Amino acid sequence: MSTPNAIKRELTGIAWISPWLFGFLAFMVLPIGMSIYYSLTDYPVIEAPLFVGLDNFAELMRDEIFWLSVRNTVIYAVVSVPITTALSIGLAALVNQKLPGVGFFKAAIFVPTLVPLVASAMIWMWLFNGELGLINRGVMLIGLDHVLGFFVGESSYVPAWLTSASWVMVALVLMICWSVGHPMVIYLAAMQDVPRSLYEAAEIDGAGPVRRLWNVTLPGISPVILFNVITATIGAWQIFAVPYIMFGDGGGPGRAAYFYTWYLYDNAFRFQRMGYASALAWVQFLIILFFTAIIMLASRRLVHYRAT
Amino acid sequence: MTRDPITLTRRGALGALVAGGVGFALFGPRGAPPEAEGKLVLQYWEKWTSNEGAAMKAIVDAFNASQDEIYVNYFSMSGIDQKALIAIAGGRPPDIVGLWAFNVPAYAEAGAIEPLDDMARQHGIERENYVDSLWPLLTHNGRLFAMTSTCGTIAMFYNRELFREVGLDPDRPPRTIAELDEAGDRLTARDSSGSLTRIGFVHAEPGWWQWNWGYHFGGHLLDREANRCLASEPEHIAGLEWLDATAARLGGARAVDSFRSGFGTYYSAQNSFLTGQVAMIQQGPWMANVINDFRPDMDYGVAPFPVEESLYDPDNPIGLVDSDVLIIPKGAKDPEASMRFIAFVQRPENIQHLAAAHCKNAPLKNMPEQFYRDHRHRAVEVHDLIANSSRGYTQPRTRVWPQFEDAMRVAFNAVWEQRSTPAEALAGVDRLVQARLDDVERKRRLRRDLA
Amino acid sequence: MATMRTQRVSRLAGKSASFVVLAALAALFILPLLWMMATSMLPIDQALSSELRFLPKPEEGGGLVESVELAAAQAAENYPTVWNDPIVTFPLYLRNTLIVAGLSVIGMVLSSAIAAYGFARVRWRYRERFFWLVLATMMIPFPVLMVPLFMIFSELGWVGTLRPLWVPAWFANGFNVFMLRQFFRAIPQDLDEAARIDGCGHIGIFRHIIVPLSLAPLGLVAVFHFMFVWNDFLGPLVFLTDQSKFTLALGLQLYQSQSGSTPWNLLMAASTMMVLPVLLVFILLQDSFLRGGSTEGLKE
Repeated sequence: MSTPNAIKRELTGIAWISPWLFGFLAFMVLPIGMSIYYSLTDYPVIEAPLFVGLDNFAELMRDEIFWLSVRNTVIYAVVSVPITTALSIGLAALVNQKLPGVGFFKAAIFVPTLVPLVASAMIWMWLFNGELGLINRGVMLIGLDHVLGFFVGESSYVPAWLTSASWVMVALVLMICWSVGHPMVIYLAAMQDVPRSLYEAAEIDGAGPVRRLWNVTLPGISPVILFNVITATIGAWQIFAVPYIMFGDGGGPGRAAYFYTWYLYDNAFRFQRMGYASALAWVQFLIILFFTAIIMLASRRLVHYRAT
Repeated sequence: MTRDPITLTRRGALGALVAGGVGFALFGPRGAPPEAEGKLVLQYWEKWTSNEGAAMKAIVDAFNASQDEIYVNYFSMSGIDQKALIAIAGGRPPDIVGLWAFNVPAYAEAGAIEPLDDMARQHGIERENYVDSLWPLLTHNGRLFAMTSTCGTIAMFYNRELFREVGLDPDRPPRTIAELDEAGDRLTARDSSGSLTRIGFVHAEPGWWQWNWGYHFGGHLLDREANRCLASEPEHIAGLEWLDATAARLGGARAVDSFRSGFGTYYSAQNSFLTGQVAMIQQGPWMANVINDFRPDMDYGVAPFPVEESLYDPDNPIGLVDSDVLIIPKGAKDPEASMRFIAFVQRPENIQHLAAAHCKNAPLKNMPEQFYRDHRHRAVEVHDLIANSSRGYTQPRTRVWPQFEDAMRVAFNAVWEQRSTPAEALAGVDRLVQARLDDVERKRRLRRDLA
Repeated sequence: MATMRTQRVSRLAGKSASFVVLAALAALFILPLLWMMATSMLPIDQALSSELRFLPKPEEGGGLVESVELAAAQAAENYPTVWNDPIVTFPLYLRNTLIVAGLSVIGMVLSSAIAAYGFARVRWRYRERFFWLVLATMMIPFPVLMVPLFMIFSELGWVGTLRPLWVPAWFANGFNVFMLRQFFRAIPQDLDEAARIDGCGHIGIFRHIIVPLSLAPLGLVAVFHFMFVWNDFLGPLVFLTDQSKFTLALGLQLYQSQSGSTPWNLLMAASTMMVLPVLLVFILLQDSFLRGGSTEGLKE
């Protein structure tokens, strides 16, 4: 029953959340509404929008570059998310031990996550430089160039990380591995919350470190893994700044680094197609929802929630 | 509560950091205040930095000193075509923008720039004073939308020292594609292990125009009348087949890429043409400035870029004609005032000063002899020859050019890395670009019918 | 006895292996940053030389000390060159970044704390439903909103000013509200009761109880939002037009993409300048970062 008191209580609540609520309406609901409308128009930024119905969505289906950008982004997400997840869990398990200097190691692995994206793009462009970059110098130092040369049928071969369409994706995945420090720290915190008694019980059963990791740690931190996998997937769908800075206009060699958000940005601000860009944005949102739903469903039997 | 000294030091340091930041935000440097009391201040965005920017800045200063009503504020910008469009759409445009000629169709069709026909007439700017090939770059669908600031035609730069070294005649540079290939083979050098140490010619260096090879086989990319993309015509296929053949002759794209990856940046002493790592390149007249700045003693020559044998005509070379342009955005404070500045730039002495400082050829006919005598580009007349040729070509004049160029770059790369044949790659370009051309035309009709 | 010893030995072996692997990995992770700094202190010809160098080559017969001296001298040349670049005005960009960071950090902390209070400590009927909306907003990535936001800001005449970058921060964001709500909920309710008896309303409770007890998480919001602003590239790229309004992230990209491109040693000096302040903050606040505090709320 809505007594004056109850109404007052609701109003108090709304008043407190009003900063968020206003932001939600002005910078979320309104743009989403506008975006729906724009996605149904041809809108060359300066001219008025022209209503074209579902044209933009029909064009999307036929647009080869759209599919290419979806493909690139899916590959990037599907490769980078498992690798970074495994790597960060492994690192968390390693630093979750009493070892001399472990605090320093933890800090060293974490620090790269703080490097601003623009700066890390610069650093990695230099690292990936064909002959002068540290990575290829390392490749030649340990003789890996001969191993790679064997596969391509030459005496020696160093990867053209950023100039060859076949290496670009590898380079970007390598690069994202540099910032696993952030998920590592989160996994570490989660691991430290797994009750000691579970480990002791496992030890009594004679489980070695690997079995303990598999049977105790992973189930124990599974909700956090789920959360991280979802955020990493959403993040992968937003990859833009690093390839954009590294390659300038055009999506990198052979468009191998033309990711979804980049294509969206180009349509909006380079090709002057705001309507089409809005359609892309909507599709991106649906794809992200879809991916999240898949991950949630797939994880149902794997995630264990502890009773609190 | 007790706190250990480390925590206290940390807090102190953090406090100092925050205080420093706040102090810098409050009292830090501000944008240069214009010395412009009582004047109309115009914002002028230009793409040039360093020496090229300084040359334009000198003209801006001269304009500001020449009268006391208008003050032009010069800004160097990167990514200027996107930034300007965002600013125009955002309702806060600058008053004058220095763009590239290829931006004109897109800007004009979007209604983002002021037509200049009337204002140009008032300022006595006449078409017949300009080099003939230049004017089409400034217009769109018959209307004038831009004025030139500098222009340049693209030619072939070659290293005369290396020509002599391998026994080629430095005064008889290659004229045809076949001759270019032959000279390229002789100039290419390898070390004992077979790795490249020098390349005669390769399309990817510097690789700024990956779409224009077909023009040198007699092709064009766009039929504007018919709104047709011509990317998959035989001439362009021949152009990319030539690319493929060049890669093969150099020992494969991979070997070339691995050699190229060690090249230095363009504006430096490590520029691969200056170091002699590449003997012949396709470049614009500004290359002379790089040479002057970093290797003034270099013995180089310039010639029109070679063409397919049947097309050779010494008096009418084929070459790309391009221009930097000045435009007035829609929504500029006072277009008349902007035009006064643009007209000031058009004065022969100013246009000459700019062309000379940028090492470019002249946009105006009838340049004084002294322009050539003092020019820092030893072969600027070659660029002039191309500008005055009846077979100069421009970038295709269409608003979908950014997508078109991207697509051509992808085709180039696919052929280079042997992921597809020239015909396949170009068929892909054609499909993509034709769809865009048709779509733009359809939307234009729809708009017109609604109006 | 014997089994215990073998167990101890194998445990020791395991730990040593872990140590070696970790040390190697840590070195690998830190190496790019070291190389960035090393390159920033090299003359360009040595940075581009085929001989790998971390420190400048000393004169004939010179040793490490000479190398370090040369590096310092080169740094004293490279860094001022970057800082005083006539076109890419880093001091101005630093100031712009600090203005955006300062205004948005204050706004973000205040607005998120207030909203989180409404979700954590005020009882009302539709609270949980609204909270679901908060969670839902965390799912919507910026690129999706980019185009309409641009249109809104251009209607307001804000494109080309710093406002699009800091004004929205005054209206909270899902992630921070979510995190602060978890903290606020963990503060015992009896404190509220006591305050209420003393005649405090919600505002009083918020000011005198919740805020003083939540300084650490509020600081965390501040630091993370500062990092966000320092790092943000796409926002400035879309909303800023005038070069005198650029932030550092945009400025660094501008510096790299200048016509003719920038020498590597100077580019690395510029990158180092952008990384150092963040490193400093990290050194001072290590524990908060390494505790994984940003996801404190996830434990449920």
